Amino acid sequence: MIQLRDVSLVYSNGVRALDAVNLDIAKGSFLFLVGHSGTGKSSILRLMYRELVPTSGQVIMDGIRVDRLRKGRVPHFRRSVGVVFQDFKLLAGKTVWENVAFALQVTGASTREIVRSVPRALDLVGLSHKSRMFPHELSGGEQQRVAIARALVRSPRFLFCDEPTGNLDPANTTEIMELLLRINLKGTTVIVATHNQAVVDRMKRRVVRMDNGRIVADEERGSYFVDDVPALTSQKAGY
Amino acid sequence: MDFGRFRFFVREVFANLSRNAGMQFTAIGTVAVTIVLLGSLLFVRESVSRIGAQVLSQIEISAYLTDASTDDTAAQLRHLMSQDSRITRITYIPKSVGFAEMRTHMEGQIDTSLMTSNPLPNAFRIQVRRPQSVAGVAARLQRLPGIAKVTYAQDIVLKLLRVTEVIERVGIGMIVVLLLVAAIIISNTIRLTVFARRREIAIMQLVGATASYIRAPFIVEGFIDGLVGAAVAVGILAGAQAELLPKLFAAMPFVPMAHAGVDEHQIVLQLLCTGAALGTLASWVALGRYLRT
Ligand SMILES: Nc1ncnc2c1ncn2[C@@H]1O[C@H](COP(=O)(O)OP(=O)(O)O)[C@@H](O)[C@H]1O
Ligand SMILES: [Mg+2]
Repeated sequence: MIQLRDVSLVYSNGVRALDAVNLDIAKGSFLFLVGHSGTGKSSILRLMYRELVPTSGQVIMDGIRVDRLRKGRVPHFRRSVGVVFQDFKLLAGKTVWENVAFALQVTGASTREIVRSVPRALDLVGLSHKSRMFPHELSGGEQQRVAIARALVRSPRFLFCDEPTGNLDPANTTEIMELLLRINLKGTTVIVATHNQAVVDRMKRRVVRMDNGRIVADEERGSYFVDDVPALTSQKAGY
Repeated sequence: MDFGRFRFFVREVFANLSRNAGMQFTAIGTVAVTIVLLGSLLFVRESVSRIGAQVLSQIEISAYLTDASTDDTAAQLRHLMSQDSRITRITYIPKSVGFAEMRTHMEGQIDTSLMTSNPLPNAFRIQVRRPQSVAGVAARLQRLPGIAKVTYAQDIVLKLLRVTEVIERVGIGMIVVLLLVAAIIISNTIRLTVFARRREIAIMQLVGATASYIRAPFIVEGFIDGLVGAAVAVGILAGAQAELLPKLFAAMPFVPMAHAGVDEHQIVLQLLCTGAALGTLASWVALGRYLRT
């Protein structure tokens, strides 16, 4: 369960990236954040994995005030969320296996945990047979699957994807989306920021549309272009 | 920490060290130069203070009594002086003894049978605990009733004290500057490593590595830079001592065997610790600005 309460975010340069955003995301749901570039999609995600704290308002995840988290607690919080980016952020000098294991190694996991969890994560994304390869030997879609395996290796409750298919061709995009759906079916809450219209339209999932730092539409089985604003008003009326 | 984790950590450290070998070399070299100078200065200081102490410890104050003085006056004076804690030894030399001493001294140089009347006054010879207090003690003695004149080797004492002081001041100044330079260079090396590994660091932070975990390899890197630099310096100093010192002492036979007294083990330990502490501290400072989650 994720709750944003009157969240505003002003960057140090004065840009108001989010303006009194209210949003509830149920446990185990799948949600698209859509909107033009610069409308605040990434900013919302950054608040959710505590890369940033809001200028005002509350970010509550599973009952925890993430915006109030002490600095020392942030690393432990991060272990309960997975994050995936457009540019994969893999380490070129490490193999597929090592890239996934890295997330466990640097957080003090035991060798036993690593040997148990890494194959499971690689199996989930269907890359067990390529575990010895290096990122540059893989297709874009495969690289993104490695990144997803790394994000999931600790079995987080939330998976945040910021334009995960931004660098991929349609075939790879479909592949990644199907993978994210499967992950969601296993109980992980998945939030995908994207401006890929085709994907959003096809998936028929909840779509939250942003414009200029505000949520302008929120539809349960939406498409990229939503015009029924009542969904939003009814949601907002609750608070 | 199980073995796999330890091995991973060691690999991280070596990845850091090999990342920019050139810069690493510069850092170690700077530490080495600094520590060589520090070691030399420590040695020179130690030697000078030993030579100084040796010379100074032989310096005596002579206090001559007035002609009217008697053995009674002398006894009173001795009592007074014995209460001054700075004074370690008081020897009374009645004029007869002084005269006899002088005679033996002059024997063969002049016709001592011509020395008929005794020109010497009664005197005390006084030794003090610390060379620095010679002047003070002399001044106090001068004011005691019954004492006519106080002398000591003013020049030597003052010069030696001044030389020691200057060496100390200049040495400390140079060392501070050098340590600062070395620290800055190590800091920059660590910063370059941090910069070279910024992608990894960003991923570590993203997946939830603690700040102290991310810092550790860099701290160890600084520690190793400092320690290796100091070890190189100790090697150079040891070589110099084996090669150069005997020649130096041969060239200056009048220097009273300074190096025999220097505690080499302690200096080596001090230098290694200084290097390691310098490296650790420098990397700590370098990381301060970067790795705050
Ligand atoms: N680090 C930053 N500093 C200042 N302004 C930023 C920063 N990141 C994003 N912004 C601004 O905040 C607004 C929202 O950005 P972002 O959340 O990245 O939008 P989106 O992901 O929808 O493209 C934009 O106007 C952007 O220029
Ligand atoms: Mg964005």
